[in-house]
Amino acid sequence: MAYAYLFKYIIIGDTGVGKSCLLLQFTDKRFQPVHDLTIGVEFGARMITIDGKQIKLQIWDTAGQESFRSITRSYYRGAAGALLVYDITRRDTFNHLTTWLEDARQHSNSNMVIMLIGNKSDLESRREVKKEEGEAFAREHGLIFMETSAKTASNVEEAFINTAKEIYEKIQEGVFDINNEANGIKIGPQHAATNATHTGNQGGQQAGGGCC
Amino acid sequence: MWATAFRLRGNDLVMSDKDDIETPVKTEVAPVLEGGDYEPAEKSESVNPSAKLQSKSEPVVSTRKRPESKPPSGIETSEVLPPVQLSQTPGNESASKDVPQSGWGYWGSWGKSLLSSASATVATVGQGISNVIEKAETSLGIPSPSEISTEVQYAAGEINAKENENSPMAGPFGVFSTISTAIQSTGKSVISGSLDALEFIGKKTMDVIAEGDPGFKRTKGLMYRNSTLSQVLREAKEKEELQSASEVAMETDKKTHYYGLLFDEFQGLSHLEALEMLSRESEIKVKSILNSLSGEELETLKLELEQLKEAFSLAEFCEEEEEENKGDEDFTKELTELVSQLHVSSKSEKLASARNTAYEWIKTFQVTPLEEKEECEKQLEEERNEPVNKVSIEDIHAFAIRSLAQMTACSIELFHKAAALILHGGKQQVTAIERSTTLSQMTIVLCKELSALSKEFTTCLTTAGVNEKADVLNPLITAVFLEASNSASYIQDAFQLLLPVLEISLIENKTESPEA
Repeated sequence: MAYAYLFKYIIIGDTGVGKSCLLLQFTDKRFQPVHDLTIGVEFGARMITIDGKQIKLQIWDTAGQESFRSITRSYYRGAAGALLVYDITRRDTFNHLTTWLEDARQHSNSNMVIMLIGNKSDLESRREVKKEEGEAFAREHGLIFMETSAKTASNVEEAFINTAKEIYEKIQEGVFDINNEANGIKIGPQHAATNATHTGNQGGQQAGGGCC
Repeated sequence: MWATAFRLRGNDLVMSDKDDIETPVKTEVAPVLEGGDYEPAEKSESVNPSAKLQSKSEPVVSTRKRPESKPPSGIETSEVLPPVQLSQTPGNESASKDVPQSGWGYWGSWGKSLLSSASATVATVGQGISNVIEKAETSLGIPSPSEISTEVQYAAGEINAKENENSPMAGPFGVFSTISTAIQSTGKSVISGSLDALEFIGKKTMDVIAEGDPGFKRTKGLMYRNSTLSQVLREAKEKEELQSASEVAMETDKKTHYYGLLFDEFQGLSHLEALEMLSRESEIKVKSILNSLSGEELETLKLELEQLKEAFSLAEFCEEEEEENKGDEDFTKELTELVSQLHVSSKSEKLASARNTAYEWIKTFQVTPLEEKEECEKQLEEERNEPVNKVSIEDIHAFAIRSLAQMTACSIELFHKAAALILHGGKQQVTAIERSTTLSQMTIVLCKELSALSKEFTTCLTTAGVNEKADVLNPLITAVFLEASNSASYIQDAFQLLLPVLEISLIENKTESPEA
């Protein structure tokens, strides 16, 4: 329940690359091949542990359709991490990465950690984008890279968690100003618990009218 | 009637101006309630049929009002529970209850326009004033700052005349000097401090309310800062998180009671935040477009936007109060119809099913309260060591809070999706104004539903808690009403966030259509 930090993530990338499936695999540990198109944005949340600290990931899964692009841009603000997803079986989704990256960089804070994800790694036979290409792109643009499969859950945990680790490190290094919520990071109750015990007690009394 | 209404606002306004200590303020309010001032109110009640209607429906009004417009519960906690008391214990305190109720009921509907525009995030101030003045049965245009004070005095004068006809008992001076000061100071704060001032009034009122009612403290805390709705809710949630974290050791399941946590769990907070983002972005766009226009073009557009705004002011809730028990399908049908009228492909199923689940639960409770107890024990995994009866009312309470949080979250999700789809554009089969009307109807339907639901739940609570002491049962009932009222406020605020979205949609549709 209690967490030390909350990180806001966005998942972006072309339609049909498996953004919603990645989220579902990460939050619910299941795979659902058929999905409604995402309208605007959907949400998911999960708790992870890094360095012994509980971190809550609040994930914004955006619509990939071109026509939603101007809307989804509005959602980028205040994200600490982004998963930029392409489909290894569709070259065009890889070719569009530059546009996505520009968009992301333009509409979010400069410190945002971006994880490049080549999804559908289970479909090796239909592969159109080599792993090396993904790696090269990531290196060139300063991104972390991973190939995942939302279907088999391969690397899905790692993708989300490694992004969080990177953010966490940046916090330790002082790159992120954790008091500025525009960075997509918030200090959670666990972290604040020591100096907020007083408030907590007060809160308990206040709620007393409601639940006791 | 008017006398009471204005008088009360008067007090609030005056104290906001002074920004003084709360205690004297409170004593100032109380005499107005209990003193001779509602004598004219009673008198005019016989003249004014709508007043009667409202006095009957007071609990509903209180549910729909924004939290800060709920003074009745501040004066006496039991005031929040009239449906229960009226039906269960007729005659008990009836005299002391009936009288202020009529006054408050009216106050509620009168104050609503002002208060809701005060705290609704994007409501316009001009609208608030014009509503007030319209209510005073004068038709004034949107006045300039200097006009306001003079015109308002004039308006007050007119009421003065009317009021005298209706209730000769009302001493013209005592009452009307207050009216005009009230309105004057409204005008003043509107102009100088705009929304902030009005919000401040609300908060000040909350302070007074909270004095007498500990249950209100939380809401007071909720509304206390100048912040966006999602911030307010997030803070509340975080506070609850903190609490539940510290309580974890002893009572694991207490968190089921926390509205804010549940609201977040149902992703209400995220949808609200997202809706706020869309709203803000749209607002910026609208402003920049307006800045780029001039002359006739600008005037036409302004006029159209004004119409849109009008469609956005919520109709009076109080009209068809007592047509309850509309049946399960009706809400779902009405909602589906409204959604389809929007011509966006968002779905209302989630909301409808959340609502139906709540009603099914209530139904089974009503049929077999004993079985239900067991079932909800399972559902909510409550501690079983406590006496059966006590567990039961706490379960009902927990389920009620949960249902309210879920329905509110789903409603806000619906609004958010509607906003996204409206912005998404494409061919528009309906105008922005039509959409506004539909959305405001939807808001009313949702708020009514929340109010009806909270009544059902409190009925359950009273049934199950027959043998409970009042100080055990009443706080639970109060909490349900309070959260229902808060829920309605959140929905209304979220609704207001849609205005800029529709404005930009109107503008874009306008600029697209000549080309096509």
